[in-house]
Amino acid sequence: MAATSISELDFEKFREFFYRKTDIQFEPSKRYFVDKRLVERIELTDSGNFRTYFTKLRFEASGEELQLLTNLMTINETYFFREEYQFQCLVKSMLPDITSRKSDSSPIRIWAIPSSSGEEPYSIAIYLLEYWAGIKNWDIEIISSDIDTKILTQARKGLYSQRSVQYLPENVLRKYFKRTAENYQICDDLREAVEFTRVNLSERADTRAYRNFDVIFCRNLLIYFDDVSRKTAAETFYDALNPGGYICLGHSESMSRISSLYKVRKFPEAIVYQKPLEAK
Amino acid sequence: MALIKTQTAQPVAEEERKQSRDCANLIVALEDDNPTVRRWAARDLTDFPTASAALVNRLQREEDVSVREIILTTLTSLGDEVAVAGLVDCLRSEGVSLRNEAIEAMKQLPDEVAPIMQGLLADANPDVRIFAVNILESLRHPEVESWLVTVIDNDPHLNVCATAVDLLGEVGSSAAREALLRLKARYADEPYIQFATDLAIKRITEG
Repeated sequence: MAATSISELDFEKFREFFYRKTDIQFEPSKRYFVDKRLVERIELTDSGNFRTYFTKLRFEASGEELQLLTNLMTINETYFFREEYQFQCLVKSMLPDITSRKSDSSPIRIWAIPSSSGEEPYSIAIYLLEYWAGIKNWDIEIISSDIDTKILTQARKGLYSQRSVQYLPENVLRKYFKRTAENYQICDDLREAVEFTRVNLSERADTRAYRNFDVIFCRNLLIYFDDVSRKTAAETFYDALNPGGYICLGHSESMSRISSLYKVRKFPEAIVYQKPLEAK
Repeated sequence: MALIKTQTAQPVAEEERKQSRDCANLIVALEDDNPTVRRWAARDLTDFPTASAALVNRLQREEDVSVREIILTTLTSLGDEVAVAGLVDCLRSEGVSLRNEAIEAMKQLPDEVAPIMQGLLADANPDVRIFAVNILESLRHPEVESWLVTVIDNDPHLNVCATAVDLLGEVGSSAAREALLRLKARYADEPYIQFATDLAIKRITEG
């Protein structure tokens, strides 16, 4: 049997379709990465060729194959200071805007979901301590949630590999981590600064209490959801945010394609989404 | 000032609520002055399969886009005949936002919309027929291509056919080729149809 191959035209068709469905855009430089996964799925589904597989992908009523392929096409990895431009945006643009509007001294609340093994919420904490002068004047609460209780336990422990901390500046690494035999242990002050909670974003009973947040980080999670779940999550965040609050998605995600409830805010550092100030 | 830790995000116990979350109370809450209360009522009505009529009724009058969006999500989840009929009514609305929101909601309901699609594509109002083609754009259903072929073979309205041709260029296969050629012949004096059918046939042939 001839080996399955993906032509230039196949790649373009898939690229356009996948972008429309997920907002994830593959550059031509990703051709090998994309082809490899497409060929794998074509063979595992006994589709025989790209055309048959592509038809299945587009018209399958359940959308299961598209979801499976989306999972394969997204690399689930996390590390400290990943997509750092959003943390820069937090301290340079979002927090100055939020504090300029605050009429009382109540804490600024940040929700990071999913917490995964904790790199993101701890990165936020470190970024605030290192790069935001406003920390002298404001209290900040960081709550981080995940559906997976095992990963939450791991996050609370705060033990990381060399790979996880590889993008941290040396001085930051020395200041907030202690080298162990094989890993890096995050300091107790940071471990105590982040509240980790178990939340299923699709479960209303879980999310109902999550309110009055000023900023939500939800990066690289919604791409794993189907359209309805994505929209439901966006609506949940809407009620979790204060008017004027911000939501940050992953670089390949776009709220505009999920929900019309948010305003796009183009800051110098990043594009984020804002619950309208006049929202009730 | 500093990073502080609080325990404010605890699940809300049922006994802490002012009103029980039964269907009747939630329908009353849909009329509350506070949009947050209306949003949560619409969200919680997902648990009640008989709630579609009340949601559709509120949808037609709801002015807050955030409440409307959640009502539409709940109607999509319920997806019963009443919900689908309510969404179809929205296609006839003068409100552009409501109409577009209903189209997006219906795209999520391939199995529920399929039985009424032929009726929508034969609606007396050409705008409704165009909206029906718009729904097909992202409707994951195996009949999409044959519905579009029926449209270009039978629909007397140029704009409806043009919308269907654009979509066929994207989702069509060689099965649509003859119908596209028939349409091209039917509208021999319409430059846009000539251009659009040629483009659709090129895409199908190359695809």
